[in-house]
Amino acid sequence: MVTFIIRRVIQMVIVLLGATFVLFACLFVLPGDPIASLAGSERARDPAVAAELRQRYNLDDPLLVQYGAFVWNFAHGDLGEDYAQRRPVNEILGPKVVNSAKLAGVAILIDVALGIFAGIIAAVLRYSFWDVFITLLTTIAIGFPVFVIGLLLQQTFALQFGVLPLFGMNDGIKSYILPATTIALVDAALVARLMRGTLLEVLRADYVRTAIAKGLPRRTVLSRHAMRNAVIPVLTYLGISFGGFLSGALITEAIFNWDGIGLALVVAIQQQNNPIIVGIVAYSVVIFVVINLIVDLAYAALDPRIRLS
Amino acid sequence: MQRRLRGTAIAASLAVLATVAAACGGDGGGEPPGEAGRAGGTFRLGIVEPTAIDPYNSQESEGGLVTKQLFVGLTGVNDAAELVPGVAKEWTANADCSEWRFTLTPDTKFSNGETVTADSFITGMTRAGKKSAASDVAYHMAGIAGFDKLQDGSAQTFSGLSAPDPNTLVVTLSAPDCEFDKKTSHTVMSPVPSAAGEATNAGFNEMPVGNGPFKMAEPWQHNKSITLVRNDQHSFGMTKLDRVELTILNPNNAAELEYQGFQAGQFDWARMPPEQLPAAKARYEPMGQWLHEDTNGMNYLLPITEDGEMASKEARLAVSYAIDRQAIIDGVFKGFQTKSTTIVPPVFKEAYQQGLCTSCDKPDPTLAKDLAQQAGLPPGTNVRLAFNTGGGHELWTQAVKAQLEETLGWRVDYAGEPFDEMLEEQRQPKAHGLYRFAWGADYPTPDNYLFPLLATASINKDDGGTVNGDNRGRYSNPRFDQLINQERASQDDAERVRVIKEAEKLALDDMALIPLWNRSQYRLFNAQQFTGGGLDFNEYPPLATISLK
Repeated sequence: MVTFIIRRVIQMVIVLLGATFVLFACLFVLPGDPIASLAGSERARDPAVAAELRQRYNLDDPLLVQYGAFVWNFAHGDLGEDYAQRRPVNEILGPKVVNSAKLAGVAILIDVALGIFAGIIAAVLRYSFWDVFITLLTTIAIGFPVFVIGLLLQQTFALQFGVLPLFGMNDGIKSYILPATTIALVDAALVARLMRGTLLEVLRADYVRTAIAKGLPRRTVLSRHAMRNAVIPVLTYLGISFGGFLSGALITEAIFNWDGIGLALVVAIQQQNNPIIVGIVAYSVVIFVVINLIVDLAYAALDPRIRLS
Repeated sequence: MQRRLRGTAIAASLAVLATVAAACGGDGGGEPPGEAGRAGGTFRLGIVEPTAIDPYNSQESEGGLVTKQLFVGLTGVNDAAELVPGVAKEWTANADCSEWRFTLTPDTKFSNGETVTADSFITGMTRAGKKSAASDVAYHMAGIAGFDKLQDGSAQTFSGLSAPDPNTLVVTLSAPDCEFDKKTSHTVMSPVPSAAGEATNAGFNEMPVGNGPFKMAEPWQHNKSITLVRNDQHSFGMTKLDRVELTILNPNNAAELEYQGFQAGQFDWARMPPEQLPAAKARYEPMGQWLHEDTNGMNYLLPITEDGEMASKEARLAVSYAIDRQAIIDGVFKGFQTKSTTIVPPVFKEAYQQGLCTSCDKPDPTLAKDLAQQAGLPPGTNVRLAFNTGGGHELWTQAVKAQLEETLGWRVDYAGEPFDEMLEEQRQPKAHGLYRFAWGADYPTPDNYLFPLLATASINKDDGGTVNGDNRGRYSNPRFDQLINQERASQDDAERVRVIKEAEKLALDDMALIPLWNRSQYRLFNAQQFTGGGLDFNEYPPLATISLK
């Protein structure tokens, strides 16, 4: 298992280098000079200032030299300075990463709770009213664009009823409810359907019928035998979802003014603020690879038949 | 650190106040300080994350809003776009306007108790002008002698600035400029306390200490908030508000968030997204919470006059006669813009010449077609029309495209690009056609529209032919240059206005810029709790004079 982990870590480094290099090359060939123009202004930068900044950020060096410098600094944990405010990228992204992570954490809890619970009910009470209701609800939810859900929730609970905060992070746990629900809702619908599907399949299996025949109570059969197998694909899916949540939910962040990295990425792209773009992408790659590793390990832990190879 | 010498401070403040009030001759809008309204209250609004609030690099409107509350410069601008005293109570220029002398009000203070002297200004301006600062706004000081040496790193002091005594600042210019005093209202020329250090001093960048009506309650909480509290050491007028809370909103939908926040009672001041203006007006105007001002700014189409399809005056006039501005205003903006007939905005009351652009008033399709033929642009010609995305310009530019195609039969090459790309394109030697363009003056003078946009000296081409100045249309007219230089060399206000008007007329006869509409600004103000709302020259709420009812 240790060799497995080491191998995956080496793969992660390779993926990281590859992704950042491709990104660097793309940013390098993009038209327009990020230094020459002022973000959000009608005028061009003074040539003397632009020259000074180009020098400070080594923008006149060839691509490979710039990339080499980046990798060297990155290995030391230094992501450089951004072009707009000229503050260290770590300082800028740190709080945003934490904010996105907190929101992702709450979102995944809602996702798990709603999704798995709904899926179990639908599977166990197959063809009953609840099953039909849940299937219908999930179909509708999947069709809703995220921004519609977000705006609807905001208009209803914040503006109309005034029970939850409009936007921002300032009201403690109440601030998390609407944005986390917005992120989680569509995913929870997918999780519910997946859970229902896998559980139905497992419930049809021979060993489950044997367990019921042996006289075990339904609840034990469900929790001890059926769920352990049914939940594996769902966990894999949830793991990847969580990775997605962690990378930031751009639309939700905009609607609820959540200072996370999804929106930061879009703004950085608009401003051509390359150090931020590279920083966020590097972070996202690391997150995805780590999450995948954890999911694979969990997979093996849950199902002894699976060998890590 | 905060020495509250109550009696002396109040007496001194009142004395200064009386002098300032007498010298000002009254400002327009907002209550005179020290009168109606009671002290106290917290005013809340939303802004977008500024690039900087330290005066060395404070540049866009949100950064400027904060900096203006923290610092008072040599001069200020009142609502009538007139220059008024700030820390400097009076100033004079020598005969050829190459040297300016500012006499400061003595014994005014920073919020940390330090006295503001001429040296405080020299410190502030030097740290912003140094090469290592790489300040985006240092160019406002380019007319001061010694600026170039400071910028290229060969000097560490600003040779054009001197302080013969603590309350006199002498500024020597590298070229005569009879409107240099107007430039001193810019935040880059703010005084700073000795604790400020270099421009790279992060502590001061995050929590600047100034002499303005407010001071920072805590360091800048990036992407979260900026909180200001009343500066009781402020030497100019009695600010009423206790606190100002600025919530930082994301730039993509800031206007929506501000409006929602206002509706929910979280903000006392808000912009509105353009499509909500009619609903907001219907709801809030009866409540007296609706503000409208045509401010310091103009919207034009920028024609590239050097080369390409817009090189001839007839082509540009054809465009101007073909566009039905009122129809676009009514259809796209629901009537929330004012069509413009000038290059200089109405906020400059003396220089404003309403109706100067005859083609701007009403479209004239027949004349437009004629002019297009004369210009050698018959139906079927390709004409480029580009605009920057992300600014909400899609609808009206499409309307212009449709009007040009319908009236003149042109094939409009319509392109929306990110702002940076559009800017780059305008600067390149092979630029041609029409661009969406807007401008606002940095200084309270109509010269700051005409000179940067239309003077030959503002083109500034480098060896490759790329335009580095602001005159990206490359308009070059020797007679216009002559008039502008004459205006700039004159110390007589009346003569300056007369010459500026002549220059503007010349430029409009050539249709060097195609006026579209003014910069109309609308805001919501919580008039139920507060009084003194309005938009000042920079479109900011007058926080220093707003008070609880």
